[in-house]
Amino acid sequence: MSDSAQIETALLDLDLQAHTARPVTDLLFRLGGAIVLASLVLMLVGPWITPFDVGRPSDDIMVPPPDLADLPHLLGQVFTGAPHDPIHWFGTDGAGLDVFSRVLAAPRADVAIAVGANLFSLITGSLIGLLAGTARTWLGALVMRISDLVQSFPVFITGMILVTLAGRSNATIVVTLALLYTPIYVRLTRSEVLTQRNRGFIDAARVLGKSEAFIALRHVLPNALAPAMIQASVTIGFAILMTAGLSFVGAGVRPPTPEWGLMIAAGADGIVQGEWWPSVFPGIAISITVFGYAAFGNGLERRHAK
Amino acid sequence: MPSEAAPILPPPILPPPILSVRDLSVGFRGVPAVRDVSFDIAPGEIVGLTGDSGSGKSTLGLALLGLVRQPGRILGGSVMIEGVDLLRLPEAARRARRGSQIGLIVQNPRGSLSPLHTVGGQIRSVLRAHLKLSSVQAAARAVGLLRQLGLNDPERRAGSYPHEISGGMAQRVLIAMATGAGPRLLVADEPTSGLDVTIQAQFLDELARTSRAAGSAVLLMTQDLGIIANYCDRVLVMQDGRIVASDRTAAFFADPKDSYSRTLLSLAYAPPPVPPVAPAELLAVRGLSKHFRLRGSGKTLQAVDRVDLTIGRGETLGLVGESGSGKTTVGRCVLRLLDADAGEVVFEGKDLLRAMPRDLRVMRRRIQIVFQDPLDALDPRWTVSRILGEALLRPDPRRIAELLTLVGLDPAVARLRPRGLSAGAQQRVGIARAIAAEPALIVLDEPTSALTPMARVGIVALLRELQARLGMSYLFISHDLNTVEQLSHRVAVMYLGQIVELGTREQVFNAPRHPYAKALLAAHLAPDPSHRRVDGVQAAVLAGEIPSPIDLPPGCYLAGRCPVAIESCHTTQQPLYAFADGGQVRCTPAAVRAGVIQRQADPPGRVLSNTVAA
Repeated sequence: MSDSAQIETALLDLDLQAHTARPVTDLLFRLGGAIVLASLVLMLVGPWITPFDVGRPSDDIMVPPPDLADLPHLLGQVFTGAPHDPIHWFGTDGAGLDVFSRVLAAPRADVAIAVGANLFSLITGSLIGLLAGTARTWLGALVMRISDLVQSFPVFITGMILVTLAGRSNATIVVTLALLYTPIYVRLTRSEVLTQRNRGFIDAARVLGKSEAFIALRHVLPNALAPAMIQASVTIGFAILMTAGLSFVGAGVRPPTPEWGLMIAAGADGIVQGEWWPSVFPGIAISITVFGYAAFGNGLERRHAK
Repeated sequence: MPSEAAPILPPPILPPPILSVRDLSVGFRGVPAVRDVSFDIAPGEIVGLTGDSGSGKSTLGLALLGLVRQPGRILGGSVMIEGVDLLRLPEAARRARRGSQIGLIVQNPRGSLSPLHTVGGQIRSVLRAHLKLSSVQAAARAVGLLRQLGLNDPERRAGSYPHEISGGMAQRVLIAMATGAGPRLLVADEPTSGLDVTIQAQFLDELARTSRAAGSAVLLMTQDLGIIANYCDRVLVMQDGRIVASDRTAAFFADPKDSYSRTLLSLAYAPPPVPPVAPAELLAVRGLSKHFRLRGSGKTLQAVDRVDLTIGRGETLGLVGESGSGKTTVGRCVLRLLDADAGEVVFEGKDLLRAMPRDLRVMRRRIQIVFQDPLDALDPRWTVSRILGEALLRPDPRRIAELLTLVGLDPAVARLRPRGLSAGAQQRVGIARAIAAEPALIVLDEPTSALTPMARVGIVALLRELQARLGMSYLFISHDLNTVEQLSHRVAVMYLGQIVELGTREQVFNAPRHPYAKALLAAHLAPDPSHRRVDGVQAAVLAGEIPSPIDLPPGCYLAGRCPVAIESCHTTQQPLYAFADGGQVRCTPAAVRAGVIQRQADPPGRVLSNTVAA
């Protein structure tokens, strides 16, 4: 390729970036942000806004969701306020519980556990990472080898074993996930600390006679946190998947808590008989949520890189 | 060739111009970047195009190739190359002309080469894109081009990948690519920014020689008036997309017509700073050495080798040298940002290298630093007021406002974050932070090299004014000889970790005695067209490349490249000789010539002491 052709390619690349990439990622970023926001709102108020009681079984067992053809009619009833029977939008499950209500109430368990675990590991992980990046070489190396060790275990199986050993409660799930995710934040923060440590303003503070601890906490850490915060969004998504997975295999949240993984497990047997709704709707909810956190994190990363 | 009279230029000399631009305009979404530009370039002529950043130089350069960055658009005008209007041609015909009729040399030589292909292969592909050559012929021609450009062992170099060759060689490969197909017009956009002065001079010498020999036209875009004075036949100055001045080089420098060039040249013509009379000694560095152990190989890199220097109160010592000479390491060792291996740094009577951490933190405030990259030196999350407050023992808004005024900034910028300031203003904040600690010495580590020439003028003037007002000393580290000349009272020249010459500004700049200092200053391009490098005989060019600081030769480090080296230079380390006029030179032949020492009958043994008194 001649150099002029290379220039043209480079200009075309610029062009592509400017005209195609940005609007799409921006849309995904906003969509992701909306999903993240919705999941956090549901985490706070979900169980209080459900149309049906999520804990009391009823006689309406395995009612299928309304037919697509009936939807306009039913929606019309709801919006005009016409008197009508209560509608099970997503149908009911084998115990006669309303699937829609339980899908709305589940973030109280799934999102809370994932966010809690990640906050916990973000805080401890970034502090350990700061230590590993600023302390003496051997200490930093030791910390990194320990975090390698933790990361070398398969996350899901280790999580299953730890939760089972420690007893199935929401608190143990949070602590287990936090432990498994901490090395991610240690690694990210440390590598960023190593970059930030060589920047001019660090030397400037040193020349002004500031102590190493002051420099580490006031200059290095705040500037090294961004990648970890961005990672948190993506990791929360995976933590939701993991929480649901653990309860799906019976090593997570206890029934009858409304929780997506439990709902999928409970409805799984019915799928072969055509009773798909108790499992599929919570599955879709997980997919949308995990996608939302990932898209939001991705968008944050692009914005940060700019 | 249309013979309409050029509006601003004198009529072209006998041959018709190769490039003739008329009323060229380029706009970005309605914002004009280049407005009604017209000029000609005759065969064999080198025309300099200068102007501040953002004046539209690069956009104009691309437009000459019929290219525009998105979302720009060529709004009108014509670009006639040997009588054909490039802008009226279909895209396929334009592409055929790029490379064959117009060559482009861009900044950042290494970044412009593909890391996955050999340099020979890249030159070959350009040649074959434009000339009817077999791949064997193209390979032979590529090697021939590299040989013409003065690369030793061109066959081997042609087989190297870009990461295996030095920056200077990469730049020559780019010339080979741009000139290989014999273009009539060469557009060079800041071709030497980021190169060391000696490599810059070599590159420009070759560019000038190639274009004059081929009779091609060159448009050389640069912000460095030194390059313009030494290489260009005519000068165009751009401001806000317009050509505001156009003149022959000599006339231009005698009396610049536009405000931009006048400001830039004002400092070059200002009298140099007056050194303090018999200043008390503030800093004395003795026998400072620093080496780095390289990972893996276990070899050591000698960054600083027994450096001695002193700085008096109120004095500026300029420390110059090319990249890798160890000048920055000296500065960092003086500040104890790096721990030296040996030597002492006596500051205000106390040895900094042996100070306890508690004392050091107090002593340190007396020596401050200004960094090369102004943005990197300021915490991006902090406001200017907080940054300056950090440097004060007790943050005080009134003092912060005073400091900002002192460095020529509006006190209102205290509320801003560094990113909201221009590079020049960021550097002023960095200087304000340094003086906030009320230091006796400021280490200026290339404080102007990341700035545009316009911002540079302001910073140099500010530093001179602050020194006159506050009386502190500077250790001014720079590879830019022009700014060193404008700021320094005394100058030390470093080569591979050693000081090779030290003297007053006049001694070093007007009559350098060390062969390396001579070569460095010969490559120095002063913004003064009276001794143009392109017209003169190029004196004292050092042969070969700088030896690697990992495997240094046993004798004088320069011996392998030195025109005056004698037998003993290759085997014996050279001491720093003190000359009668106070200068110090690390060169035995020079000392013998000056009568400082007698010619020795037998070569002296390994000299252990670093300095020999006269």
